Amino acid sequence: MPRIMQLNPRLSNQIAAGEVVERPASVIKELLENSLDANSTRIDIDLEAGGTKLIRVRDNGAGIHQQDLTLALSRHATSKICQAEDLEAISTLGFRGEALASMASVSRLTLTSNASEDKASGWRVSVAGQDMQASVIPAPHPRGTTVEVKDLFFNTPARRKFLRTDKTELQRIEDVLRKLSLSHLQVAIYLNHNGKLLRHFAPAADEADVTRRLAAVFGQGFIENAIYLEQAFPAEQGGIGLQLRGWVGLPTYSRSQADQQYFYVNNRMIRDKLVTHAIKQAYQDVLFHGRQPVYALFLSLDPRLVDVNVHPTKHEVRFRNGRDVHSFLFSAIHRALADVRPQAGVGSNVMIQAGAGVEEASFGGAGQAPYTGGGGALQPTPTQRAMMFSGPARPGFINEQLQPYGQMLETAWSASQEPPEGEDIPPLGYAVAQLHGVFILAQNAHGLIIVDMHAAHERITYERLKQATDAEGLKMQPLLVPVSVMMSEKECLMAEEHSAQLEEFGFELQRVSDESILVRSIPAMLRKENAGQLVRDVLADLAEYGTTARIQQHRDELLSTMACHGSVRANRRLSIPEMNALLRDMEATERSGQCNHGRPTWTEQSIDELNKLFMRGQ
Amino acid sequence: MKLRVSREALLKPLQQVAGVVERRQTLPVLSNVLLQVEGNVLSLTGTDLEVEMVGRVPLIEGESGEITVPARKLMDICRELPDKAEIELILVGQRLTVKAGRFRSTLSTLPAEDFPTVEKSLAEMSTRIDSKSLKRLLDRTAFAMAQQDVRYFLNGMLIEMGGDYVKTVATDGHRLAMSTLKLEGASADSRQVILPRKGVLELQRLLNEVEGDIGIAIGANYLMAESADFVLTTKLVDGRFPDYDRVIPKNGDKLIVADKLELRQALNRTAILSNEKFRGIRVNLSSGVLQLSANNPEQEEAEETVSVDYQGAELEVGFNVGYVLDVLGVIDSDTVKITLHDANSSALLEDPSAEDSIYVVMPMKL
Repeated sequence: MPRIMQLNPRLSNQIAAGEVVERPASVIKELLENSLDANSTRIDIDLEAGGTKLIRVRDNGAGIHQQDLTLALSRHATSKICQAEDLEAISTLGFRGEALASMASVSRLTLTSNASEDKASGWRVSVAGQDMQASVIPAPHPRGTTVEVKDLFFNTPARRKFLRTDKTELQRIEDVLRKLSLSHLQVAIYLNHNGKLLRHFAPAADEADVTRRLAAVFGQGFIENAIYLEQAFPAEQGGIGLQLRGWVGLPTYSRSQADQQYFYVNNRMIRDKLVTHAIKQAYQDVLFHGRQPVYALFLSLDPRLVDVNVHPTKHEVRFRNGRDVHSFLFSAIHRALADVRPQAGVGSNVMIQAGAGVEEASFGGAGQAPYTGGGGALQPTPTQRAMMFSGPARPGFINEQLQPYGQMLETAWSASQEPPEGEDIPPLGYAVAQLHGVFILAQNAHGLIIVDMHAAHERITYERLKQATDAEGLKMQPLLVPVSVMMSEKECLMAEEHSAQLEEFGFELQRVSDESILVRSIPAMLRKENAGQLVRDVLADLAEYGTTARIQQHRDELLSTMACHGSVRANRRLSIPEMNALLRDMEATERSGQCNHGRPTWTEQSIDELNKLFMRGQ
Repeated sequence: MKLRVSREALLKPLQQVAGVVERRQTLPVLSNVLLQVEGNVLSLTGTDLEVEMVGRVPLIEGESGEITVPARKLMDICRELPDKAEIELILVGQRLTVKAGRFRSTLSTLPAEDFPTVEKSLAEMSTRIDSKSLKRLLDRTAFAMAQQDVRYFLNGMLIEMGGDYVKTVATDGHRLAMSTLKLEGASADSRQVILPRKGVLELQRLLNEVEGDIGIAIGANYLMAESADFVLTTKLVDGRFPDYDRVIPKNGDKLIVADKLELRQALNRTAILSNEKFRGIRVNLSSGVLQLSANNPEQEEAEETVSVDYQGAELEVGFNVGYVLDVLGVIDSDTVKITLHDANSSALLEDPSAEDSIYVVMPMKL
């Protein structure tokens, strides 16, 4: 049996590097985060061979003192936190004090820095040998820091083998850049590869620049198909001081992969189960089966309420009030999506409007100045301002529309008469004809509107049913023969613990032994479903997210089927007033852009597009 | 194989047998009916592997042999033929020729060896029951059977053979129906079996056709009902039926006697405006009066009062109106007796003129 001994510093750093430094992109991430934490405004990146030969990151940030240089390369050394309390409220991107030491252990690293304004001063440090002895020599450098990482993994062949082609590694680096470029709009980033300028992110001064950065990440189509949202849940209103802003893609602008989902907590990009679940739930019943939403969202909250010290690469976080965060995210996005209605020129101007900055997006995350557009900040449209709600919403059952639908129907009918001359034409215009018994053709101020009659009516019926059922509340059906469900002891304990919440959902459970419970009541709407399965699913949700929408989902499925049967089918002749009434209903209904299954309900062909089709005026 | 038979003799048994055959099949031979001629008797067999029905048909003339043909097509042909027609079936090679008058057709066949038979072990107990009485037992309880419940043993009916009684019980977990028939002369045998839903429905259909007694035999995994012309064999459901005795309320202290027709009509009217998914209806009891009320998600409401024979405290309780109407549908008498305890306890419904059947309905929290 070998004896126990202390590992030499290089080896222990290499072990740490195993967690953090996986590939060139992770080096870029760590270095950029350092630069951003140093309040840099310009970052230059030079790469050779996809970063496997050389990575050089130069910034104009605060710089490092000469005396601190050797310390900077040793493990567990940082300027970002200094005492235990700091760990509870981390406002910088980094804090572990391991990145430079880890990188230095698996590459030939030199660090040049100057913390003064004197361009001639500056010092360079590099490490060598098993004990990673640092040597400092003078080297002129403008204010800021340059880190050079050469021959990454030269001494760890195993890691080197896992590297892909230069091109792939370069793509991953660009990916990291894109993520960071969205959260740090005011920083200029230049990326050079093999001596050529590859990417340039100019500091975003106005909406056009923001749009450009978004387009660089999501592609050109995103901006026209996204809703800007900005909501707060301030502490004064019983909240925990949450603020959310960002862009969510329209349900029609979805992807088959979950690859364009960017979520930032205090400007740190994360991937979190709780967050993903809340957003997915918000998109429920507007997204086509199997599609993934697209979004870039920024959540800011008191750093004390979130623990980023969960994972070495800080991809995961832990919220102290997970349930509040979940319901805030859900209701904010749910509301934003519900408000997508046919309106004049939907698309581009739903997004960002130029104009005098009324409300400024202030998101000072990692110690940086809040983004303020030069004269015109991101400004919500009137509808968006109207939907900025405050106060917590009950998770799940939200009373979405306030007016009783009867009233809606009435106004729709009165508005459905002949187009009044000289008055505003409604967004979906007036019906002209019915096509093949399936589509309604309508004319509005912009051109031609085509509506899928059944899909549109289905959504309207569905929303009404949901609203009416919400108002009625959940009914409980006690069982004559209770269902006995075998569960693990953990699940049984959960069931006991959450019994009050379960009762709200219509379940009455009784524990009969260590590993089985009796279901004594179930929600009356769901009396035909498999009770045991339902209880287990609900418990799993409660354990994972602290809340559940399971019951509502099952109920909505039922309502959706009812809506489908209760809606006009293809080949049903509709008169002009009937068609107009449907159009008015659509304008008044939430989520009317998609049917219950996420298919679009209407589309627009503008006069311009039609003109192009016939080469008019060319 | 060759046979001649009158349309009238063939049609009824064929319809009875074809009823067992499922419309959609993955195993082609299961959509066929097995024809077996022995002397001047034709046996028809249809099965879905769970329930098997055999019918015997007297022939005008027959030549032994066996074959299977599509059940539904053969039945449809016989049905469309004119009354008193004489049908001739002749097996030629792989095809069965059907002739009647100037009509002629050929049907595809599958070999008789491929036709599955329900395995029958030795009967462990057998008895004879008056078919009318047995039918009454089934008719009064079958409605309460579950349909496609995960607790598979609820998708059927419990038949309990006691020393001097037969009892049927059905429940879907929300309501329960139970009916008992006293038998003359005690026997020592006693058994409990669960008949699958389809077996119950087919047995009901068979009993419609039978006069007099019917023989019942129970084996380890099957129940066989045999009349002069038919043999129905159904597999049994292997499971433990809920203890019905524990479900029947015994603490009921609020006794109501109502006119069945009046109550039923009032329920039917009120139910129109109840929630169509769970059909909740509110019942308010006060001395001599039963008030029904319902409302739906659209906020439409209905209300009706029914005079009843009731002296007791006031009580409000909710029900799924469908469950109550189902019970009123099978009660023969003009009045119904309802026993309640409180809003959370199950209700007991009975036919005051016949003590043999009881019904339990669970209330609902509205």
